[in-house]
Amino acid sequence: MKKINAKNVNVAYGSKQALFDINIDIEEKQVTALIGPSGCGKSTFLRCLNRMNDVIDICKVTGEIYINDFNILDKKCDVVRLREKIGMVFQKPNPFPKTIYENIAYGPTIHGMTQSKAEMDEVVETSLKKAALWNEVKDRLHEVGTGLSGGQQQRLCIARAISVRPEVILMDEPCSALDPIATAQIEELIDELKNEHTIIIVTHSMAQAARVSQNTGFFHLGNLIEYGSTDKIFKNPENQKTQDYITGRFG
Amino acid sequence: MNTNTPHTVKSYEEELKNLNNNIVKMGTLCEEALRKSINALITNNADEADKIIKNDEEIDKFENLIEQQVVNLIALRQPLAIDLRETVTALKISSDLERIGDLSKNIAKRSLLLSSNLSKNLIDILNTLSENVQKQLKSVIDSYLERSSSMAINVWESDEKIDNLTNQCMQASIDFLKEDPKNLQNGTHLLFVSKNLERMGDHTTNIAEQVYFLVKGEYLEGDRPKNSEIGK
Repeated sequence: MKKINAKNVNVAYGSKQALFDINIDIEEKQVTALIGPSGCGKSTFLRCLNRMNDVIDICKVTGEIYINDFNILDKKCDVVRLREKIGMVFQKPNPFPKTIYENIAYGPTIHGMTQSKAEMDEVVETSLKKAALWNEVKDRLHEVGTGLSGGQQQRLCIARAISVRPEVILMDEPCSALDPIATAQIEELIDELKNEHTIIIVTHSMAQAARVSQNTGFFHLGNLIEYGSTDKIFKNPENQKTQDYITGRFG
Repeated sequence: MNTNTPHTVKSYEEELKNLNNNIVKMGTLCEEALRKSINALITNNADEADKIIKNDEEIDKFENLIEQQVVNLIALRQPLAIDLRETVTALKISSDLERIGDLSKNIAKRSLLLSSNLSKNLIDILNTLSENVQKQLKSVIDSYLERSSSMAINVWESDEKIDNLTNQCMQASIDFLKEDPKNLQNGTHLLFVSKNLERMGDHTTNIAEQVYFLVKGEYLEGDRPKNSEIGK
């Protein structure tokens, strides 16, 4: 089932156009990978999905992006509510300089999602369990999150993102700063999380896109060149540019 | 789709080219083994037959080499799209070529066991069958070299002709066997030779399917053209 439907999305940073007429349907409870060379617009597109581009003054976004049939680019859209529904994980793990517990509790607190300490404890535990971090941190919940290893910090950020029960999780190169073992743990986590969340991941690793996603979109110079099932894209892409990119033939 | 754009990493480009060249070299050796084995049989040339039997090692070595290259490419390069298809089809084609080499060797071995009392009619049909299989093998190697799916389809569709000729060959062998009990040894060997040629035709059809997949990225649909009227 379709979760997100983007129609004629155009993005410009001042006079420089970054995305041209992007049309894409993102499937619910699946992983969609966005690939393409640096500067192709994949992260820009990802940031459109939770209106992160709003914070850049010169950035202008036009078109329509429907999530659950509601156009999130509409002026009436409540961005705070939107970001509750659309979580995000970034390239560099960025836990708050607070305790592990507080990192997770922050979102549910500001969104008023819990009524009692016991309820909050429950949310923290469930989120950390879902992020496969609970066993490693359950005895040190009140130590600072920044004291964890890189892989653990990234899982903490994922736990923080899922604590507010988002419908969609955006991941912008979530493993690029991690070693192969931590990467595998995140990939296993992505596999698990897709049972409850729709995931969109931007990655420079073709192998990672192939491993974790069901659908893949290839961006180049601000255009969505090809979008389709991951196995088709990596076995027999339709477009010459896609093939040249994934086989390492881009000059 | 045009794949002329070279890889950014030149050594990867070289490895794929090398794999391609080895398939073509192995295919050429198989063409030669097939042609010479039938020639040795028809001209009763034991020296030629011995050479073919010995040269089969060379074909086997190519199969091993290609297998190693494919494993290395998968382990070290993680090929995708056209490169993945190049890699996987090379492995499968080399395995079919190895079988063709073996079957030619078997014909050469059988030629050493034949006495001079052969049926002219049977030898003529066998020769025609062998010429057709040789043509198929050459065409399929050319289709690989030129990355031509239409040439591959032609080979695939021509297998029926090979089946027809095999049926004629089988019938001629049975007639030859019926003529005289003394024909038993020659007739039996020639029956196997015609069966070997028919199998080689099947291997060229397998290769044609691989070439089609390599070029198009999809599998040839439908049943193979077949004619199995043997003994009717």
